[in-house]
Order: sequence, then C-alpha cells, then structure tokens
Amino acid sequence: MLKTNNADWQKVVRDPILLGAVSVVILSLIVFIVWPLFEVLQEGFFTLNGRFTLQYYEEVFRQSENIKVLSNTIGLGLFVSFISTGIGFLFAYADAFVRLRGKKIFNILAILPIISPPFALAMSFIMLFGQRGFVTNRLLGIPDANVYGFFGLAIVQVLTFFPVAYLVLAGLMRQIDPAYEEAARNLGATRYGTFKTVLLPLLLPGIANSFLLVFIQSVADFGNAMVIGGNFTTLAVKTYLQAMGNYDIKGGTALATVLLTISVLMFVVQKYWLGGRSYVTVTGKPSRQRELIDGQTERLLVGVPCLLISAFIFILYILIPVGSFVKLWGIDYTPTLRHYEYVFDLGMKPILDTTWLSIISMPITGVLGMIIAFLIVRKRFPGREWVEFISLLSMAIPGTVIGMGYVLAYNKPPLVLTGTAAIIVLSFVFRSMPVGIRAGMASLQQIDPAIEEAAQDMGANTFKVFTSVTIPLIKSAFFSGLLYSFVRSMTAVSAVIFLVSASYNLLTVSIMSQVDVGRIGVAAAYSTVLIAIVLVVTGVLKFLLGRLGVDINEVNG
Amino acid sequence: MMSTIGTKKVSIQNLVKIYQQPGHKTVTAVDDVSLEIAPGEFVTLLGPSGCGKTTILRMVAGFEVPTDGRVLIGADDVTGLTPDKRDTAMVFQSYALFPHLNVFDNIAYGLKIKKLPAAVIKEKVMEILELVGLGELEKRAPNQLSGGQQQRVALARALVMEPGVLLFDEPLSNLDAKLRVHMRAEIRRIQRKIGITSIYVTHDQAEAMSMSDRVIVMKKGKVEQIGTPHDIYAHPATEFVADFIGTANILDGQVVSVAGDEAEVAVLGTTFRLRGTRPVVSGEAVRAVIRPEAVELRASGGLPAEVLSSVFMGSYQDYHLRVGGQLLSVVDTNPAFKRVFCEGEQAFVGIRPDSLHIVAK
Repeated sequence: MLKTNNADWQKVVRDPILLGAVSVVILSLIVFIVWPLFEVLQEGFFTLNGRFTLQYYEEVFRQSENIKVLSNTIGLGLFVSFISTGIGFLFAYADAFVRLRGKKIFNILAILPIISPPFALAMSFIMLFGQRGFVTNRLLGIPDANVYGFFGLAIVQVLTFFPVAYLVLAGLMRQIDPAYEEAARNLGATRYGTFKTVLLPLLLPGIANSFLLVFIQSVADFGNAMVIGGNFTTLAVKTYLQAMGNYDIKGGTALATVLLTISVLMFVVQKYWLGGRSYVTVTGKPSRQRELIDGQTERLLVGVPCLLISAFIFILYILIPVGSFVKLWGIDYTPTLRHYEYVFDLGMKPILDTTWLSIISMPITGVLGMIIAFLIVRKRFPGREWVEFISLLSMAIPGTVIGMGYVLAYNKPPLVLTGTAAIIVLSFVFRSMPVGIRAGMASLQQIDPAIEEAAQDMGANTFKVFTSVTIPLIKSAFFSGLLYSFVRSMTAVSAVIFLVSASYNLLTVSIMSQVDVGRIGVAAAYSTVLIAIVLVVTGVLKFLLGRLGVDINEVNG
Repeated sequence: MMSTIGTKKVSIQNLVKIYQQPGHKTVTAVDDVSLEIAPGEFVTLLGPSGCGKTTILRMVAGFEVPTDGRVLIGADDVTGLTPDKRDTAMVFQSYALFPHLNVFDNIAYGLKIKKLPAAVIKEKVMEILELVGLGELEKRAPNQLSGGQQQRVALARALVMEPGVLLFDEPLSNLDAKLRVHMRAEIRRIQRKIGITSIYVTHDQAEAMSMSDRVIVMKKGKVEQIGTPHDIYAHPATEFVADFIGTANILDGQVVSVAGDEAEVAVLGTTFRLRGTRPVVSGEAVRAVIRPEAVELRASGGLPAEVLSSVFMGSYQDYHLRVGGQLLSVVDTNPAFKRVFCEGEQAFVGIRPDSLHIVAK
C-alpha cells in the first residue's frame, strides 16, 4: 500500500474533475454508510438525555436469552459455513475436474438464490416439511412435524449459500494450471496423492475464503431466519424484533452493534488476512485445458450427490409457482387463480413500487459503482484506502444493521428522509453497489493503465477519459453491475423492512407478512410475480445489450 | 507535409521524485536532474531498470508529479499541468492502443478531442498512416495487427498530434530482435523527416547508440554522463558507463607521477601516460578502461601475454589473456585473415595510450 504524500495531493488539486469526483464519492460514503453506522454505534451508549451509559449493553448481556441468541448465531454460522463449503467444493470439483454432462445447471443453481426472495427456500421448505407439509403430512402422515428451528434453518441456509462457496472455489480451480498436477504425477504421485499434496494446499486459502463468505451471509441472513427459525432466534432477527417489535431502539442497537462487530471482523479477516494468501492468482492463467477425469467410479461418486442436491433445489424452487396455483396448501390442492386475483386486485402497489424504485436505483448504482472502482484502481488520492475499505465493507454489513442506521440517521435534521422513496432508493444503491465495484475493479485490473494514460496524453481530461475509454473497456462489468443492482433491489428485505412505510411498501416485505399470517398461497403468488419481473426485466436488458454487442455473461459470475 | 514549426525545446530543472514507502521509508527515484534538450533533438535516457529514466519521462508527460524541480516545454512551465494540457505525445511500451477503436479512430482520438473538422481529421490521419507505412489498414482493430504494425499505429497516434515533444517509453521492447532493428531505423527516419524534439527511454544500449543525437546515461536517479553516442563509448566518464555501454576491461592501476593534465599510470605490468576524466594525485589507486577491440594482438613486439582462452565467434575471435598479472579480454575482428592464437600460447599485445583512460570509480 502506497502511502499518500504531497504528490498525491497535487495530482488531485490540479485536476478539478478528479477533485470533484473524489469529493462526491467520499461525501456520499460518509453520509450514507459511515454516518448511519455511527448512529447505530452511538445510540446504545447514550441515555435519552444524552448521558453516556453502558446500561443498555448490560441489559442486553444480562439476559440469558440474548447470550443464547449470540451462541445460536455463531453456532449456526459455523455449521452452515462448514457444510456449504463442503458441498460447494464438491460442485466446484465436479465442474472443473470431472467429465459430466449438464454442468450448466450448476450456474443456474448459483443464480436462483439471487433472483428469488431471500427467504424463498424457507417458504418452500415449510411447504414440503411443515406441519401440513406435502412430504411430512401428505406422504408420511406425520401429524405434527416441526420444521422450525435449527435444522430447518440450517438446511435452508446451506442450500441458499453453498453456491457462494461453489463460485469462489470453481473460479480458483479453473485457474490452476494442470501442469502442476502433471508435474506431481510425473514425479510419482497418485491421483489421490496429487489431490492431497498439490490441489488441496493450493485451494486452502480459497476454502477458508468461501468459509468466511458463507459465514458472513449466514450471520446476516434475516429472511430465512425470520420465516423458518421458529424459537431458534438469531441476532439479525432478534435485533429487528427488539427494535421494531418491542420498540426498544436502544436495546436493538446494542444487539446490532454485536452483529456488526462479528460481520466486520470476518470481513477484515477475509479481505486483509486471507486476501494476500492466494497462490493461484500469482501463477496466472493456465497454459492449456485440463484433461477431465472420466473414470466411471469417480464420475458416479461426484456426479450422483451433485445430481441429488440439484434436483432437490429445483423442486424447492418449482414449489413456489406451484404453490401459488393451489387453493390451500396442505389441505386443498385444487388448482385456482384466486391468489393472483387477490394480488392484482389488492396488492399491486408493492409490486409497482418495488419495480420502479429498483429501476431508479439501477443507473445510480451502476455509475457510482464504476466511478468508485475507477478511482480506487486508477487514481492515487488521500483517503483512497478508506474509500475502498468502506465501499467494500458495506457488502458485509448485515442489512438489519444498516436499515436501523438509516432509520436513526434520517429521521431528524439535517436530512429527513423517513417515509420517502429516497430513503429506499438510497438503501438499494448502497446495498448493491459493492458487487458492481468489485466487478469494475476486477475488470480494470485486467486493463493496461497505459491505455487511459494514452487518452489523457492525447488531450482527454479525466471525465473524457472515463467516458470515452474506461467505460467502453469495462462495459460488461458496468452492465452486469446494473443488472445485479436491479435484481438485488427487487429481492432485498433485511434493510428495507425498517424503511417501508404506508406510502412505499415493498414486495418482499409484503410476502413476509403474508407468510407470517399463514397465507402461503398469496405469498407464493407474490414471489412468482417477483421472480417473473426479475426474469423479464433482466431478459429484456440482456437482449437489448446483446443487440449493442455487450456480453453480460462473461462477468456474471 | 507536417509542419515542424511547433517543435519545442525541453528544459528539466533540478527535478526530484521521492516515493513514500510503507514504514516511513522513502525511495529517491530521480535525484536532482537537470537537462536542456534543444528543439528537434533526439535524446535518449539510457540506464538499467530502476535508474529513474521512465520516471523522468512520465514527469515530462505529466503522469507523475515531481517532488521538487520544474519542467519547461518551450518557454512554458508545465510542472503544474495535467497530461492532457501538455504539448507532449507519448509512445507507450505496451503501445496502449484503445482496444475498442479501430486503427483510424485510435489515431483520430486526440484530433477529435481538439474538435478539428472531420475532413481535416481524415486528411491528417491518412497522411500519417502513409508516413508510417500503414496505408490500407485504417479499418482494422488493434488485435488484428502484428506487433510491428501496432507499434506503427502507436507512433502514428502520437505523431498526428504534432506535439512539441515526442516521448518514447521503451517502445521497441516488445518486438522481436530483427523487427526491433528495423523499427529503430524507421523511427529515426521519421523523426529526422519531421524534425520533432524527442525523448526516448531505453535500457538497450544499441538502440541508444543507433538513434540518438545525445545519450544521457543514468544510474540510481542521477545522470552519470551526457554526450554523443561516440563520446560516451570512446570516453566513458565513469566505470559504470564504461561497463554499461559495450564491454570494457576495467583495470586497477596506480598513479606514478602527475604532470599537467597527464598522469603516468602503472597498469598491465608497465606504465602509460594517460589523460583522465578527473584530477589525480601521485600514488593514488585508479581505474583504467580499455575496450576489448582496441587491443592489438601480435606474434611479436609489445607486452607479453598468456592466452587463457580463445573462442571462435564467427565475426571475431574472443580471447582472455593474462598481461602483467592482470586479466584482459580482447576481441580480434575478422579472424579469418589473421593469425589465431590457441589456449596456452604466448602472444603479445599492443595498446595505444589514447585508447586507455582513467575513469571515476
């Protein structure tokens, strides 16, 4: 890390456009990420009269219930990360090393959790294994099956989050040069020996990385925990219930601080401790393609579990549209359209609100994200490390925490936004931006900085360089950032659940309340509509971009 | 044809660049360098990697901000200007062609920014393509060109701007050996034709020697020697320059006596009267330099020499000799018409005093 010095200052000061961009970015990160977090942190330390106190933290930790919640959260996180990384590894290995048909399905598996509401699997899991579940009640005739609690939640989280591990590990495995394995075999190692002595050590940082990424997601998961957690309460849910259910904002922020601390700690470990430890990135692109394993035993051993897990996940997702077309799930399976009638008669508002607020936030996220990526990768300016840290950190901040932060920060002057569309758009923007930034940074790092220098040398100012050279070169990352932003906004729940109001209600929040009152059919219909909107909008965008010659898929992973 | 009216002098005044490193360490990349480059002159910054040559070039272009000192292009102090405001155009080591634009649009890029009329742009681009010998290729994408063609596009893109100063950052290092030789002649031909002030950075001494009006040899952020290629080769000022440019025998010697600007130096088991690059005193230990091809090898007459090795290299015979207790490498060109000495034989060497001289350590 290069320290900033005088020359950095001069470079910024002599270039008014750069100075402007840096100022806007720093200001917006402070106002929309740092300040809300600060509000959450300080709220629990002061009494209503503004006196410093530890009383709220003491109260939180004196309750054995909250200690239990903390241990629940961490225990669940460890369990889910462990299993998810294992399954992710299996899928990645199958993808990169074994000759199998239909591997394209793996990518669909990885996309499904992104394009559906974050509690979709919990919903369909209940439909299968709940008290009136299709499997438990109808097929097995168990009268009082209890799917709520640790195991239900853990299984649902594993199925939702293992694709994260799969994507990380598959990306790494594809980069390993087969020459290493050939060298090991050439020196006398067996295939198993090669796996143990060459592949596993090379992948170890990646395994640790995906473990931490899943852990962060599991801890932050609000949707599934709310829907299927039952009496097994996690920190994210408890924070919400404390603040919004019991109207105890101060206690809520104390819990939120604990939650935030765990996530930030994991993020720092993941990014800064593990970040520099990958062997694979050092070696670069493989020289040639790997000979895939096509022994029958190995193919079955790897292929069958992958097939079973994939099939199970597809069934779970298909249950959502199926459930929306039957009268009363678990009791009366007659086909009906009445849930859709309900949705289109009474519930159009959240659908429209969600869609257009997501569409508004899309270009803002895309442009801001690319500007930040450009500044971080290409420019030296005072505070650059902080801009990078804060903008990527927001990926690890649990939605519950930032949602609470927005409530606290923007319900009083100087910035009153509570109840407005703006507050929702802002939360969409700053929640989905990190992924665009990451994609933009990765693209930029592949591109020779001399190309942009050449443009500047030919007389282009910073703005012109950005629009005429940088954006055309990273357009794939830019547009996939746009798409991701839309999808992520459509399916967001944990932060916006604090921000919805009578004037602006959102789809995911409506679905959760339908699940809450037991109207599974309506919830399923809403979810189906949501997924349909996501597919239609992204499909149309992809089609239009394809016409313009932009290939999104190359960066979608 | 292109005008040469715009070509400018460059003056670099006490330029310093210090990089901060983690832990309050600093690295001085450029250490108080001053240079005057005349209009139309082709100057090469030559030195090993890390000597600061590229940093100087980038400070002239405006990509790096100097820690101290000034850069003047023509009469204007440009030190505080961003690269887009400077009258320079650079040919990059990686060519840095815009991958999303074809050859024509790459070259037209800067002209469009200047908002020239489309017809003028077209005329200028076609003219410059002709000059660099790429007449037909204006519709090609950069990745459809060979390395040499990309190099020409990069050159054309810089030339078309008709800059006051043309900057080259090791532009030939990505080409294969044959093409490199060809391109350096080509660059020099074009530069002479337009008469544009050029600063060229390289670590390849052959490039520097064959292209430049003047060569600036750099070491660790400082200028070691400035001179014509001939000066630098024949009269290296320092041991570093002698060693970096071509090959040289660098021999330990001792000053026996001093008279005026001449010194009598004991070396190779005898004494020579030499002129040096610096004043010396009697009794001082010094270094004397002689090029391997400046030594004459004979069957009789001169200093006795023992042949330690003798290797046939085609156009020359490469010898290692022991003369007066010191090792001397000698290159004897065109060996087919000369007596070739074998390993272990006794030979004699003749050395003209003016081919041997004292350098600063």
